[in-house]
Order: sequence, then structure tokens, then C-alpha cells
Amino acid sequence: MSEVSGETIGVHVDGVSKRYAHRVKGEIYAARDVRLDVRPGEFLTLLGPSGCGKTTTLRMIAGFETPDAGCIRFDGEDVTSLPANQRNIGFVFQNYALFPHLSVYENVAYGLRVRGHNDDLIGKSVGDVLALVGLAGYEQQFSGQLSGGEQQRVALARAIVIRPRVLLFDEPLSNLDAKLRVQMRQEIRDLQRRLAITTIYVTHDQEEAMAVSDRIAVMNQGSVVQEGTAEDLYHRPASQFVAQFVGRVNLVTGRVMEISGEAVKIAALGTMLNARSPSRGLAAGDAVQIILRPEAVEVVRDDAGPLRATIVSRSFLGEKIEYWVRCAGETLQVVRYNAGPGEIIPDGATISLRCAEDAMTVLPETSLERAQRA
Amino acid sequence: MTSAIGRPWASAVVRMRNDPAVALAVFMLWALLALFVLYPLAALVARMMVDHGAFTTAGIAAVLTDRHQIRAFWNSLLLAFLVGIAGTAVGFLFAFTAARGRLPRALLTAVDAAVLLPLVSPPFTTAIAMIFSFGPRGLITYDLLGLKGVTVYGLTSTLFSEVLTYFPIAYLTLRPLLAAIDSNVEGMALSLGASRWRVFRTVTLPLTIPGLANAFLLLFAASLADFATPLILAGNNFPVLPTQAYLQITGLFDLRGGAALSFVLLLPALAVFLLQRYWVSRRYYVTITGKGAGQTPFDSIAPAVRSVLLLACALVASVIVYFYALLLYASVVVALGANHAFTLQHYRVIFTDGLKAIRDTLIIAGFAMPLGGLYGILLGYLITKKTFAGRRTMELVSMINYALPGTIVGIAYLIAFNDPPLELTGTALIIIACYIFRYGPTGIRATVALLQQIDKSLEEASQGLGAGSGTTFRRVTLPLILPAFFAGLGVVFIRSMTAISATIFLVSISWTLITVKILENITELSLGPAAAFSVLVVVIVFAAIAVIGRVMRFFRAPGAMPTTSLLGG
Repeated sequence: MSEVSGETIGVHVDGVSKRYAHRVKGEIYAARDVRLDVRPGEFLTLLGPSGCGKTTTLRMIAGFETPDAGCIRFDGEDVTSLPANQRNIGFVFQNYALFPHLSVYENVAYGLRVRGHNDDLIGKSVGDVLALVGLAGYEQQFSGQLSGGEQQRVALARAIVIRPRVLLFDEPLSNLDAKLRVQMRQEIRDLQRRLAITTIYVTHDQEEAMAVSDRIAVMNQGSVVQEGTAEDLYHRPASQFVAQFVGRVNLVTGRVMEISGEAVKIAALGTMLNARSPSRGLAAGDAVQIILRPEAVEVVRDDAGPLRATIVSRSFLGEKIEYWVRCAGETLQVVRYNAGPGEIIPDGATISLRCAEDAMTVLPETSLERAQRA
Repeated sequence: MTSAIGRPWASAVVRMRNDPAVALAVFMLWALLALFVLYPLAALVARMMVDHGAFTTAGIAAVLTDRHQIRAFWNSLLLAFLVGIAGTAVGFLFAFTAARGRLPRALLTAVDAAVLLPLVSPPFTTAIAMIFSFGPRGLITYDLLGLKGVTVYGLTSTLFSEVLTYFPIAYLTLRPLLAAIDSNVEGMALSLGASRWRVFRTVTLPLTIPGLANAFLLLFAASLADFATPLILAGNNFPVLPTQAYLQITGLFDLRGGAALSFVLLLPALAVFLLQRYWVSRRYYVTITGKGAGQTPFDSIAPAVRSVLLLACALVASVIVYFYALLLYASVVVALGANHAFTLQHYRVIFTDGLKAIRDTLIIAGFAMPLGGLYGILLGYLITKKTFAGRRTMELVSMINYALPGTIVGIAYLIAFNDPPLELTGTALIIIACYIFRYGPTGIRATVALLQQIDKSLEEASQGLGAGSGTTFRRVTLPLILPAFFAGLGVVFIRSMTAISATIFLVSISWTLITVKILENITELSLGPAAAFSVLVVVIVFAAIAVIGRVMRFFRAPGAMPTTSLLGG
């Protein structure tokens, strides 16, 4: 193992599948033909609901599980059948998995002892890494004496002290309270940037994913359904699932009336909406789903616009106010930033909505959605 | 549990005045504990120390200066130590294989059944099978190997037999512990580059050490208290304390000498009990919740190692199965080793001559069972949920008869209840009381464990709606702790069928027990009826376990224990 930092490598997950026997459902795929391409030094997040296969995929990358098909490569080297202890990875578990019978020092030193380093070197490395995660002086504590955040830092220190080729996180922050979660995710991100270790991170929290990642792979039912930067996923979701999972969304059904290049004219909400969206093979007459982010709908305090709506209810959230409005038989959620005490619109008031052309994403209605609607 | 400590007595008294039901129950339990736990012990010590109203050390001095008895003392410790080491090792082998071996469900069930057999058997079964196999006319020594003049009696066969009988205790202690170790912790060590062997050595084993120490002490205590196996197998050259005490009383009619011997036995037994309870059990790294850690474990054992482990387990299991098959066979042939013609004569004997013993045993078990179950949940409930003066003391006192070797309890009862006004010797009552206070504590512990998982707010809600503590207990708490009731009841029943070490001193012409009958048969060398009796007991006990298991499933509450924990005590 090299002591020089910066042995950054890429990770390639190529068509990996993992099946399980399920008592009720029979054989199910925990992961199905998963393909990922993690570039050297990149921070990639696997995002998805529980049971989507993200943790299984991560455990296969770690070597805790063996794929039924496909292969995993570290920097071109096929590691698919290499056991976890020969992959040189750092893993951070959701429940930290600190060795309860060892002190903080011995926990962090474990991987170095396995590698046969001498005590001087171990002492220095452990001291350095504990200082790095802000736990200098905690050497002789045991995990039972630490707070959740401190345990998390020890787990992190233990994973990075061995200079792993890849750093893997399995929902590392879900046992922390909300404030600490925000603070720790920033620390993880900073540390990862500083050490430039290729990182794969699993979470079900879209905000966390967006905050830390270079790129996000959204998973559903064992497969990667979309991959891209946070902006890509948010503004250009490829499916209703991604749109709903990443951020909040209004889904409006409509019909394409006219199409020319990216400009699409759609009959929806009792009027004609002009959208600008990749055509995705749409043709006039197609049923579509319009994805409308709550903050992309502008509320105008008059009733003169083409999209007239009535305020149904509201939630006052401090810096912003969420309104539920009724518009052409559909209930939409819209957000207004709080400009002052006089700006709150009362329930029952009639208003107008305005949607920017490029704030709408148009998706063809899938057969499933059609069936659900019928 | 510590809230009573430091609380002024006055407030405790006020509480009791406000809650007459609790006060009455506490008073009654203390009276019973005083009568059936403290008084017999005091009587034992008094018999040893007091002679015609004067203090004397003659009794204890006689033991301490007798070379034979001193040898018995050291032999007992040596045997217990060896059983502790070997039994823990075998128990760990089984527990580790079951927890990490990824065994198919059917195989796991088979392992569990093989391991349970020795736990539910009457005391002499392995000893009889040992004689059948390795005695002078043994199936293996004489018939198979053609050896002549073999002596089966001595340390080796006693050790072998006790390890086979008691290793399941270690198995039941260690398996949940191994299952509760977070597999991520082992996975973490693996991901840091450690080999499987290194993970085992530096993570799995250190996390199991408190459990190993615990298992060792439990086995040490079990062997120290074991009376039946050495009585049959130890022979004249390897005397141990419990059998010496028994012979002193039944052979020499020397109650003082027997009391002194059992007092010498009491010291190491008490030391082990206190060590196990107050030292080892607080050193666990892993919290055992009864549930597995939940994650998918990785392959923590290499395939070759797994095969070796399985083979070793299969070997031990097949010895057990062989022993029991032999016992069954011996019960249906005229005379094992001499005449292998099929006969049901032995069963005819036990259902005619032995019918009284069977009837007595069932009657006694039938009374002890519900009373012992009730005693367990009542005491368990009071010490967990109610605040009263002397609560911790009550818990400790309730454990005494359970922790002490049966020989001591038996001799103490014999001495205590021999004279008016408490002349109970010769009655069924003394045996029933002995069973309740000796085996009821399993129910106490089950109740405490279950109650600690039931949120306090449930009872507060009932009290808030105006129910008194009696009504709350009956309508809310009782239904929730029913599984503990059945667990306690089951243990009392099973032990009533299989115990001998205490009750051998308490049987009489009017009331006798199957286990005592088995011993009589063995000493008369009628091994056929002894085998038939043993088979009968195993069948009854297995039937009881099946019934209780069903009932417990019916009342399955959160945190209810698996049926196997019936036998943990």
C-alpha cells in the first residue's frame, strides 16, 4: 500500500446484478444491470428510496457481497471476486460499527496494524487523522463514551487513515440529528475534496445528496434510472419518478397541440401553456406530463392572467410561504418567498399563476401512468 | 432498578400504605422466602455449628481434617474446572457454527434438537449410556474392541458425561451473543484489510469473551452441583463433595457431617454465583436483544473451515444421538450386552411396580407447576415495577435456592422441616416447596426481562383511568407477561420431572419420584427398567415443551422468549 496520498482511481461498475430469494415474491433483483462510471476523485452518490438496491450495490463495490452477473473494476483492475480485505477500501457504516472492545486509538489503528506498520508510524498516522476529524485527545475513550457525531468522526478517521483507494459511505448520517447532519455532510465533503479520494455515498435524502455530490445516480427497483449533476436531475428529470424523488413537484397532465424544435404548445390547466423542453420524440396529439416545480410558478396578486387560481390553504415557514392553490380542477403547490408581513395572501383569494417557459419539463405519459389514470 | 436505593424508608412506607395489595403481596412473599429459603439455610448452619445448645466447630473440623473429604473437595473443583473449560469449548463450537455457518434451516433445527436432548433428560441418562457403551461388558469396549477388565469409573468418564450433559448451557449462552454481534463490525475489520482468521481473533473472539466467561462459570456451577453423574460414574477413587454428602447422610445417618460437607460445597458455589452475577454479566460489549443484527452477513467462514466445524458438530451430535438411541434400545431388550431379544417387560415393570412413582411425580409436578409460575411472575413483577423497602434484598434472596447446589438445598430442607411444628418431611408439600423456590426463579428472571421491555406509560395510563394497582396488574400487566408465566411454569414442570439432587433427601415411603426410582434401579443393576423410565421422562418432557411452545406462541407478546430459553436455567 502506498503512503503517498493521491492514488486516485476510477471505479467502474459494469452490468452488475444481484438476485435474492424472497419468501413472498419469489426471486427478486436487489440490483439489476447496474452500470456506474465513477471518475478518479469524484464524489458520486447513489440516491433512492429504501429497497432500491443502492446499499446492495455499495456492498458489492466493497466486496461484502458477490454479484451474480457483471463486473466491478478499480482503475481497470477486475476486483469482482476479490474479497473485501484485499480491495483497500474505506467503509463508513450507518451505525458506525466501531469495535466496542477497543479504544478510539485502537479502532483507528486497526487497519494500520493489519498492514503491519510499526508503532511509531501508527502513532503518527492516528494522531494526524484524529486531529483532521477534530478528535485530538480522544485516543483513550471507548465508543460507548462518545456522542453520535463523535462516533461518526471516529468511523470516518478509521476509514481514511489507511489511505483507501475508494471511500464508501452507507447512509452515514441517518443516525444523527438534523443540525449535526448538515454540519457533518459539509465536513465529509471538505475532507473528500482535500484528500481527493474517489467516493461513493449512499443516501435516501435528496437534499443531502445534492449538497455533497459531484454527481448523483438515482436508483429505483434495483436499477439506475438517471445519472447526472444535482442541477440535471432537478431541472431535467428523465422520469416522473426522478422528478418526484428529487425535490417537490406538481404533476399536470396535458396534450401536445403543436411542436417545433424545443418549443411545445400544450393544452393543460384549461389553457394553452408554452413550454421549452427537449422533444423526446413527442408529436402533436400525445398525452404528456408537465413537471412544474413549486418555486417555478409565479404568483401574481391579480386575477387577470390566463391561469386563474384560488388559495386553498397555506403553511407559513419563515423565509417562505407554501400555498396550496386550486387551478382548473387541479391542486397545485406553489412557493413564495416571504417579503414581509403584508405579503401573505389570505385563503380564498383569487390570484393568477405564471409559469416560465423553461421551468417546465415535459415527459411523455408512460403506458403505466395511462393505465393508472384510467 | 436502582431507584429504591437511597430513597428514604419513610416514602416507601407511605407508598405501601397507599397500596394495600402490594403491601400484602410483599409481606406474603417475604414470609414464604423466610420460611423456605432463609430458615432452611440457617437450620443447616445451626446443625453444623450448634450441638446441644453450645457452639461447636467439631462438625466442620471433622470435614477439614479428613483427608478423604479434602480430596473430595479438590476433586469437585478439578472436575468443575475441566467441565467448565471443555463444555464451554464444545458449546462455542456449536454456537459459532449455528450463528455463522449459514446452515440450512432443517440442519439448524436438527442441531437444536440434538443439543436440547441432554438438557431435558433425567439425570442418569448419559451415565447409563456410558456404562452400556464403555463398561466392563460395554457395547464399544467389550463387544466392539474386545477389551476386557475395563473400568469405566473415574474422572475421565465423569468428565465426558458431564460435558455432554452441560455443554448445551454454554451453547444457549453463546449463540444469542454471537448472533447479536453486529455483522458490520466484522465487515468493517474485513474492509480494513484483515483476514477472516484475523477478524475472528481480533474482533469476534474479544467480543465473545464475557460470554465465554459467563458460560464457564455456569458450567462450573452445574458440575459442582451435579450429584447424579458422579454417583454413578466417579467410582470410589474419585470422590466428590455432593456424593460424599449424600453418602454421609443416607449411608452413615450423619446429618451434621452431611451439613458440614454441603457447607464446604456452598463456598465455591456462592463465589461462582456472585462472580457470574455481579462481575461477568456487566462486562458485555454486546447487548443481547434476542434478535439478530439484521444485516446480510458476509461469508465470515471459509468453506474449508465451515466443513471442519460442521464435521466436529456432527461428531458430537452423533454421540448424543447414539447415547439416546442406545437408551431406547436398552429399554426394549431383555438385557443389553447379554440378551438382545425384544421385550416390553421393562415398560410393564415401570407401569406396575413403578406406577406409584410416576403418579407421585406427576401429582407433585402438577401442583408445583402453576404455583411456581405464579410465584415467578408475582415476585418478578414486584421487584421490577414496585418500590418497596428491601426490594433488592428480596431479589437476591429469591435467587439463593436456585444458585445453590441441589444437595445443599435438599439437606437444608431435610434438617429444617424434620421437627414439629414444621414437620414436613415425608409429605408431598416439602417436595413441591423445594421445586417452587428452586426453579421458580427462572420465571422471575423471565418476568423481569419481559417487564423491562414494557413501557411504564401503559400502567400509568391504567392508573390515570382510576384503576388501582391490583386491577392494573390483572387487566394490563398480567396479559403482557403471560409468556413469562408459561416459561416459568414450563421450567418448574420439566425440572420436577428430571431433578434429583435436592429431592433425593426429601422422598419418603409416601411420596417418591421417577428419578429416585431410576437411581434405585441402577443400584440394583436393573438397567432395563432404568432405561425405560428415562425414555418415559424424555417423552413426557418433550411433550410438555411442545405444549408450552404452542401456548407461548399463542400469547406471543413483544419480547417474548424463544422456547429454548425454557431450559437456560
